[in-house]
Amino acid sequence: MSAPQINVSDVASLARLTLTPEETAKFSSQIGQILSHMDSLKQIETGNVPEVTPPAHPNLRQDEPTPSLSLQAALSNAPAQANDLIVVPKIVE
Amino acid sequence: MSLAHESIATLRRRLAAKEIHSRDLVRDLLQQIDAREKTIHAYTHLDREAALAAAEKSDPSLPLGGIPIAIKDNLNVLGDPCTCASKILEGYKAPYDATAIARLRQAGAVFLGRTNMDEFAMGSSTENSALGITRNPWDSTRIPGGSSGGSAAAVGGRIALAALGSDTGGSIRQPAALCGCVGLKPTYGRISRYGLVAFASSLDQIGPLTRTVEDSALLLSALAGHDPRDNTTDLRKPESFLAKPDGSVKGLRVGIPKEYFIPGMDTETEAAVRQSAEWFKKNGATLVDVSLPHTPSAIAVYYILATAEASANLARFDGVRYGRRATDPRDVLDLYHRTRSEGFGPEVKRRIILGTFVLSAGYTDAYYRQAQKVRGLIRQDFENAFASCDLLLTPTSPEPAFKLGDRTQDPLKMYLADVFTISVNLAGNPAVSLPCGFTKSNLPIGLQLIGPRFGEEKILQAGHSYEQAHDWHQRLPPA
Repeated sequence: MSAPQINVSDVASLARLTLTPEETAKFSSQIGQILSHMDSLKQIETGNVPEVTPPAHPNLRQDEPTPSLSLQAALSNAPAQANDLIVVPKIVE
Repeated sequence: MSLAHESIATLRRRLAAKEIHSRDLVRDLLQQIDAREKTIHAYTHLDREAALAAAEKSDPSLPLGGIPIAIKDNLNVLGDPCTCASKILEGYKAPYDATAIARLRQAGAVFLGRTNMDEFAMGSSTENSALGITRNPWDSTRIPGGSSGGSAAAVGGRIALAALGSDTGGSIRQPAALCGCVGLKPTYGRISRYGLVAFASSLDQIGPLTRTVEDSALLLSALAGHDPRDNTTDLRKPESFLAKPDGSVKGLRVGIPKEYFIPGMDTETEAAVRQSAEWFKKNGATLVDVSLPHTPSAIAVYYILATAEASANLARFDGVRYGRRATDPRDVLDLYHRTRSEGFGPEVKRRIILGTFVLSAGYTDAYYRQAQKVRGLIRQDFENAFASCDLLLTPTSPEPAFKLGDRTQDPLKMYLADVFTISVNLAGNPAVSLPCGFTKSNLPIGLQLIGPRFGEEKILQAGHSYEQAHDWHQRLPPA
């Protein structure tokens, strides 16, 4: 079975990436090759095999507030900020 | 001999006895760095003054008191850059310590500098770094392996005593093998990943790269243990990991998986690894033929699951809270698109696209869920194998270091470099790579010992016994 045709620009856009025409051409052919390799998995009989999922009982801590990063530290890397808030372009018109 | 050539185990005794001071150690290392770093380029950031100041104040009575350690550039160290070798984290300064860093600090370690890597740990050669390539200290026309290539080249090139790395599909063990040092990927859950920039969270583990197996055990003791900030960490108390330093391998059942000796692998690598197996047999171990039948599917499973997880983990780099932000965005979507498109390199984009695709509507069952099932089969393979042996002995990499530029145009071929390391991450087991020989052209060859889950002591003990009987780890790279 051959790998599906993947529209690389559309998928990139879902991931908030804009590709140049050169990148689109290059990634289309490379990702096509990689998916063909991955298609070998379809041959493997996995009828009754359960999927691997995260552990059922992770070692959760109590849900209690503990000291965390200070506001100043949390904002220290923000590219733009004002009044202790991160500034971003307007979202609502 | 420069202090930079000694093991941590020896140096900490000398530090504790006040024969030497940490400042001498740091100065010696800086001298070695000055001589070799221009060729190797293992470091992305070096703060000489800070390292010397920390050395001055160090306490030699602590387990790693005054021992300088290099850190892969994807771990947060308070106040340091943490670039992940990506343009997207330009200007970022860590506002906190990763748990692994806090533990080393508590044990008295001094931080020497940050080491180069493939961008966001995606690669097997360190050629995907936005901060320049790293060269193999044994042959500067060759790659150091990856993604922890800077850490491995620094330790193998004798310009660091030890370094931290991270291993998602072989990123500690493969470069350790190619640079002639010891690289340990602990059991999933052994070391907290809090403060490690996440790549694929169901696979990522932090681990040490060192000159000797004993040093590996020393660092693991300092790093291991439960952390409430990473709920995958195990609750058991850390062990010494090398309880019987002179233990023999008598009675040990060493499994040899037939799928790890494949047509097309480098003949010198195969010969060196088979000879190591013979050494175990000659010294009283039993060699057991075992099979891990789903090994050939591991690469496909890994590149589905790892890219799927990466596509989610890397969504956080959007130009809002930290790192690079595109200038004069039209609106918020333009901000996301341009920041990410300008900030990420080609391999990272390729993997985000692949991961987004295998999780997209209509394809999840065929790719992602099928891969999770095959992952279950791979885990089962290991459990079955460990019913008849104590550890597995394999090559770490099918070949020694390849030439720079050889695989950059063929990502699938690059992915195949991880064929012997990837299954271990999928199963969650611990594994260590240690030197077991050199090719005729003087390139290091690595031996991988894989243990059952939480069986680090077994593989470190066996590795240590092997190392004591050989001198591969004492060879020096060409000046």
